[in-house]
Amino acid sequence: MRADVLVIGAGITGMMAALHLADAGAEVRLVDAGENAGTWANAGSLHVQMQSRFMRLYPDQVPAVEASLPLYKAAAEEWVRLDALYGPFELVRKGGLMLAEGADQLRFLEGKARREAAQGLSVEILDRAALDRFAPWLGPQIVGAELCRDEGKLNPLIANARLMAELARRGVQIMRDRVVRLEHRGDGVMATGRNAAYRADQVIVASAWGAGEVVQDLGVAIPTKAEPLHMNITEAAAVSIGHLIQHAERSITLKQLGQGQIVIGGGWPARDRGRDMPPEVLAASLLGNVALAARLVPQIGGLRVIRTWAGMNTTADGASTIGRLPEASRVVMALPGDAGYTLGPLVARLAAGVALGTVPDGEVAGFAPARFAA
Amino acid sequence: MTQPLGHFTFDGQQVPLRPGQSLAAALTEAGLRQFRATAKGAARGMFCGMGVCQDCLVTVDGVPNRRACMTAATAGQEVQTQVPFPDLGSASVPQASAPARVIAPDVLIVGGGAGGLSAAIAAREAGASVIILDERKVGGGQYFKQSAVGAPLDAQQSDGAGLLARALAAGAELIGEVEIWGAFDGLLFLAEHKGAALIARPKAAIIATGAYERPEIRPGWTLPGVMTTGAAQTLWRSYRTLPGRRVAIVGSGPLNLQVGRELAQGGAEVVLIAERGPAPWLRPLASAALAFADPGLVLTGLRTLADLRKRGVPIRHGTRLERIDAAEQGLRVTVEGAGGKTAVTADAVLMNAGFDPQNEILRLLGARSTYDRAFGHLRVTRDETCATSVPRLYAVGDCAGLGGAPAAMAEGRIAGRAAAAALGFGDGYDLFADHRRLARYRRFQKHLWALHDVAPRLPDVPDDTLICRCEEIDAGQIRQGLAETPGHAGTLKRATRVGMGRCQGRYCGPVAARLVAAATGAAMDERSYFAPRVPIKPVAISAILAAEEALNDAR
Repeated sequence: MRADVLVIGAGITGMMAALHLADAGAEVRLVDAGENAGTWANAGSLHVQMQSRFMRLYPDQVPAVEASLPLYKAAAEEWVRLDALYGPFELVRKGGLMLAEGADQLRFLEGKARREAAQGLSVEILDRAALDRFAPWLGPQIVGAELCRDEGKLNPLIANARLMAELARRGVQIMRDRVVRLEHRGDGVMATGRNAAYRADQVIVASAWGAGEVVQDLGVAIPTKAEPLHMNITEAAAVSIGHLIQHAERSITLKQLGQGQIVIGGGWPARDRGRDMPPEVLAASLLGNVALAARLVPQIGGLRVIRTWAGMNTTADGASTIGRLPEASRVVMALPGDAGYTLGPLVARLAAGVALGTVPDGEVAGFAPARFAA
Repeated sequence: MTQPLGHFTFDGQQVPLRPGQSLAAALTEAGLRQFRATAKGAARGMFCGMGVCQDCLVTVDGVPNRRACMTAATAGQEVQTQVPFPDLGSASVPQASAPARVIAPDVLIVGGGAGGLSAAIAAREAGASVIILDERKVGGGQYFKQSAVGAPLDAQQSDGAGLLARALAAGAELIGEVEIWGAFDGLLFLAEHKGAALIARPKAAIIATGAYERPEIRPGWTLPGVMTTGAAQTLWRSYRTLPGRRVAIVGSGPLNLQVGRELAQGGAEVVLIAERGPAPWLRPLASAALAFADPGLVLTGLRTLADLRKRGVPIRHGTRLERIDAAEQGLRVTVEGAGGKTAVTADAVLMNAGFDPQNEILRLLGARSTYDRAFGHLRVTRDETCATSVPRLYAVGDCAGLGGAPAAMAEGRIAGRAAAAALGFGDGYDLFADHRRLARYRRFQKHLWALHDVAPRLPDVPDDTLICRCEEIDAGQIRQGLAETPGHAGTLKRATRVGMGRCQGRYCGPVAARLVAAATGAAMDERSYFAPRVPIKPVAISAILAAEEALNDAR
């Protein structure tokens, strides 16, 4: 099988990369292992501000995330563009509120907001009186919040389905296979899958937590790691929560979808059960995550949770990895940093541009895979 | 019959109630069948009558999304039609009526029906401490269907009352109105009990959650007034409420005939019983095999048929439901048989086309199962003591695969003794007699269902027929989803939202699994279905909060 470009991974990043390549006239093939891709379990937050969960869990990665903040802002704008082109995806960009339950937390947010403003984000600290004007449903213990106007939310089920349909319209089929090895040659790349082998002029690796293993023979050691996370969804209520809700210290995202359901998540752990099984929902995560949501927004207490699920987030070093491998220039990486669903479409456009030669390598130098040279 | 004891209001209208009645029963008795409006503006009412389908939701005293079939009617309640999108602020958060309770019995039994009660007696008599959790206010389960409003109606209810009394006399504790919503490794069960948290950490658990009914998915099956045969039976046997004056019954299986007879005896006009299977006299060999397997049970069945005939109830074999339409004088039911199409008008349409096991807890805990092609559902893998593949977890009765109440009772006795013995109570016991009985019951079931027609089918319905009641996904959307993204039922779910609603795919899930299997050519197995997930039933956020606080306090 011969292709101009082979895209590995048909999550949001791979789908969008394939779509850009197809629109540019490339012959593109998309191959996906069908194993716990984060895109299909994503809850649809558009993250821009630094997440307290991430800052607490991975303090060493914070500088990389902070340097990436303009990328997150541009990524949210990329989603707005896609929503107009291929949507609507129920995309709402009212902003995100990071809540403070005491003076210490509010001070932490003030410092964070200053750093984020310096990176060009539209942020503001609100006191309780200001919050009450549009979010009177917050618990009485909330003293203030950081509002990041760049943030938003969308319905990933709708977005994924629409983008899949766009791919199908362009004749791009998703092949079901797991690529286990890439061999870089002078005249192309040989990709060995479990079912078949694929030859291509270039390869875009967009396989998230599986990417490090795929390129391990090509002179880089990218420490991609699957992080199984838990989510909950309620039955529908009249839409009254417009913002994406987070917390200054604790792990939570809470948002209301356009169809009225409230999605509660934010990085509580699930248990990995291997490639063949979806991750397992843990009692402690379900209890802790939902109880925290009930304390922050007491009015949701009368609603019922109707489903929970778990999916894979991907971590590496906090920053995105975009561009050609130093020792295998026909292989282009397309790996979003933290919050992969938010970043995916923008990372995909940049990586596709690198493969097509329309985005100069210098433009993505800050995300170059060379930093993982083995 | 008990007399009205006060009134509640439904959208301002006075509705009389009798003590013990559910809201659904009192509303049905008053001729009120539309309980809620869907997101797309359709009317819905009671369907399953057993807390599974989540279609009978009403707002009770300002609290939205309460199941009318599981909520007791009390004087002075203000009940309202459920709107699809209740205001967040309108619902005062339900306050727990009691502190959280943590229980740690030797043997926990989930489900107080024929199998669960039998297991409780056996385990308790062996010396183990036993607690039974049941979803309903009154134990007894779906087969024995205990009366909530008066004395037993017949021998079946008396037998159930006797079994219940024996379990309690043996020292088993039965906690009713318990909704189990979480089951986790190490045998941790999280439940809601009258608004308070109930947390169970048993040494062993016996799951006896029974089965729920497989509907006839045909145009009009979501209309108010259309319900499962079991829902109508609960109305009559538990609450002495007829589902309607004129009743039509469709589908296949012995329950339809039994309930037809009970309702006719109760004063309903049974205008039609349509049975998919051919007449038994056209299949003499199969009938003889059944009679040989259990002459006593066959005699009961023959008496039912004779009584129905004496009452002039038309029974049409080889006849299937075509469609149900709302008409001025009720529901217009069109059926199709060898003689062509005919239509009758009824106030209530009852449907039962077989059963699906309530195996959610078992699957969630990782118990292995295999697909039973004859019945079209999963059968949990068990050893001769009814132990599943998960340590200290047993399964008895229909939840492990359909077997009927007599088999459930024999399995309950076996599992109760075995679970107790595994914990050091009792002496192992000779299981020979129960195994011999069990073999006979299973033989009978096999021959019984061979006379009916409950093999699951792919829905042969027009594109605009709903498959997923909750999310209002129709056959056309599912066909389109199958064409675009075959692969797995989970893929189809994400592509179309089939199974994403409140009932968690209990009715559309098996259909989706079979459609995907047919489209991909894959054989059905335990992985064909939606992945099992908590919550097992929808659970209020306030109840999760209460459970979290209780577990933190216990730490």
